[in-house]
Amino acid sequence: MSISRHRHPSKNWLAIGLFLGPALVAYLLLTVYPVLLTIFNSLLEIRPREAPTFVGWRNYVALASDRTFWLAVKHTVLWAVVAPVLEVVIGLLLALGLYARVPFGRFLRVVWFSPVLISYVVVAVMWSWLYNYDWGILNHALRTVGLGGLQRSWLGEPRFALAALIVVDVWKWTPFHMVVCLAALQGLPREVLEAAELDTCGWFGKLRFIAAPMIAPTLLGLLVLGFIGKMKVFDLVWLMTQGGPLWSTETVSTYVYKRAFDWNTFDLGYPSTIATVWFVAILACVILFTTIFRQRDTLEY
Amino acid sequence: MFMTRLIGRWALFALLVAYTVFALGPVLWLAAMSLRTTAEIDLAHYAFPKTFHWWKFYLAWVDSNYRVYFWNSVIVVVSSVLVLLAIGGMAGYCLARYQFRGNRAIFFAIFSTIMLPPQITVISFFQILVEYRLFNTLAGLVIVYIGIQLPLTVHILESFFKRIPQELFDAARLDGYSDFAIYWRIAVPIAVPAIVTVVIVNFILLWNEFLYAVVLIANDEKRTLPLGVYKFMGDQFSDIGMVATGAMISIVPVVIAYAFFSEKIIQGMRG
Repeated sequence: MSISRHRHPSKNWLAIGLFLGPALVAYLLLTVYPVLLTIFNSLLEIRPREAPTFVGWRNYVALASDRTFWLAVKHTVLWAVVAPVLEVVIGLLLALGLYARVPFGRFLRVVWFSPVLISYVVVAVMWSWLYNYDWGILNHALRTVGLGGLQRSWLGEPRFALAALIVVDVWKWTPFHMVVCLAALQGLPREVLEAAELDTCGWFGKLRFIAAPMIAPTLLGLLVLGFIGKMKVFDLVWLMTQGGPLWSTETVSTYVYKRAFDWNTFDLGYPSTIATVWFVAILACVILFTTIFRQRDTLEY
Repeated sequence: MFMTRLIGRWALFALLVAYTVFALGPVLWLAAMSLRTTAEIDLAHYAFPKTFHWWKFYLAWVDSNYRVYFWNSVIVVVSSVLVLLAIGGMAGYCLARYQFRGNRAIFFAIFSTIMLPPQITVISFFQILVEYRLFNTLAGLVIVYIGIQLPLTVHILESFFKRIPQELFDAARLDGYSDFAIYWRIAVPIAVPAIVTVVIVNFILLWNEFLYAVVLIANDEKRTLPLGVYKFMGDQFSDIGMVATGAMISIVPVVIAYAFFSEKIIQGMRG
């Protein structure tokens, strides 16, 4: 599609300045400055009512041997890999269901999407109750079918807490992936799928050999975006377990928050160091993914 | 052949219904609890409300300060979205329609910050707001929200303005419109669908925002709705009926918006 872009011969710098100025000022003051400040803070020790002291790389050295940090990294990466895969797979299956033109398809799509719109605080309230030991639906159901022995304190046992949180994440975000997959499917040329129909290609065959390859770029994009997004996971963890029990759900973001605002250490330098390191890690992932995809694109054509 | 197809179709439908229960069940359960007293809930956690205790909403609204949280949320979200539209709209328009050195660099610089983890700015925002006496103020929260939502706003509007045919602008220029008049009287009216998308996406994301709010607001009178529900979770955890009522109050505006604009909201959030 050819887009006729504006190529105004005389550059009106005054208009450009007035249009762009406010956003640029906001960007410099509210994004660039805070980011640089955090990076600078990572070299300091900042205690309340004291002048910050410059400590050089000390925070970084301490971080390298901070076992809680590495545990948090492990949990976060696990979350960032597992959750998007589940969400994309289930989302794709749901989208295929709707694409098969089931009755009430449009209605189901609207209903399914609603968890995406609900705030994490409300989600956390709901799911803490669903996981409640005495009257949560999970244990309630287990007791009802006579499997009372499998009852657990789902958020209270280190072995299950992280998985329990990831289930909530999947509950909240699967519909988002479903909607994106459905849009991609509906963007496919109908003729191709109808041709497959004539060739008596089965339902699974159609999915495996025609639909999946054609929307593969969309799926890959969702996985990557999901991965980057989940590297920042905070709200759900903080609201439901605060990283516990016994650090079993600690993520990088909750650890930053804890060290900055919730521990009696009251040092803003060290959490800034964690944030800076994580910022660089996410940046590296973004750059890595973009280069990989660029290469793939050039190979395909 | 026909039978297996029919069975397959019903199996698929049953699966979709099961997922619907999974997706919507928790929300309906919460809604039911919001109308029941805690004593009733303790007797049967999964029962339909026998009598609808609407007075609980009044109680939460007045006695539990939800009125204050609600209006704080409204003030913060509306002011942020208005400023975002004003500055993001002009910037998106400028980046889409004016060619100049550094245009793409500026666009990429702004857009790339969508990837930033919030932790990289939350600690320094805390320091900055404390220093400028904006900590624990709604104005401070609005400023921060403008900062974090600007990239997405500029991106959505830029990609829309880019698609408007050039002839429209050339004609307006021949008619002697100034640069700003072209923006305000030609581009903005055409961009209404994109503006609606921006409003919806920012409204939902900011209405639900928790991390910056919990760090930057300390006082009960300044709490937004997510913080109000969070406080309730801690203070009155045993009074689950009231917690459910408070939670429902916080999602009612989103539910109403969704009832009217579901297609638009889904499209907007899909990006």
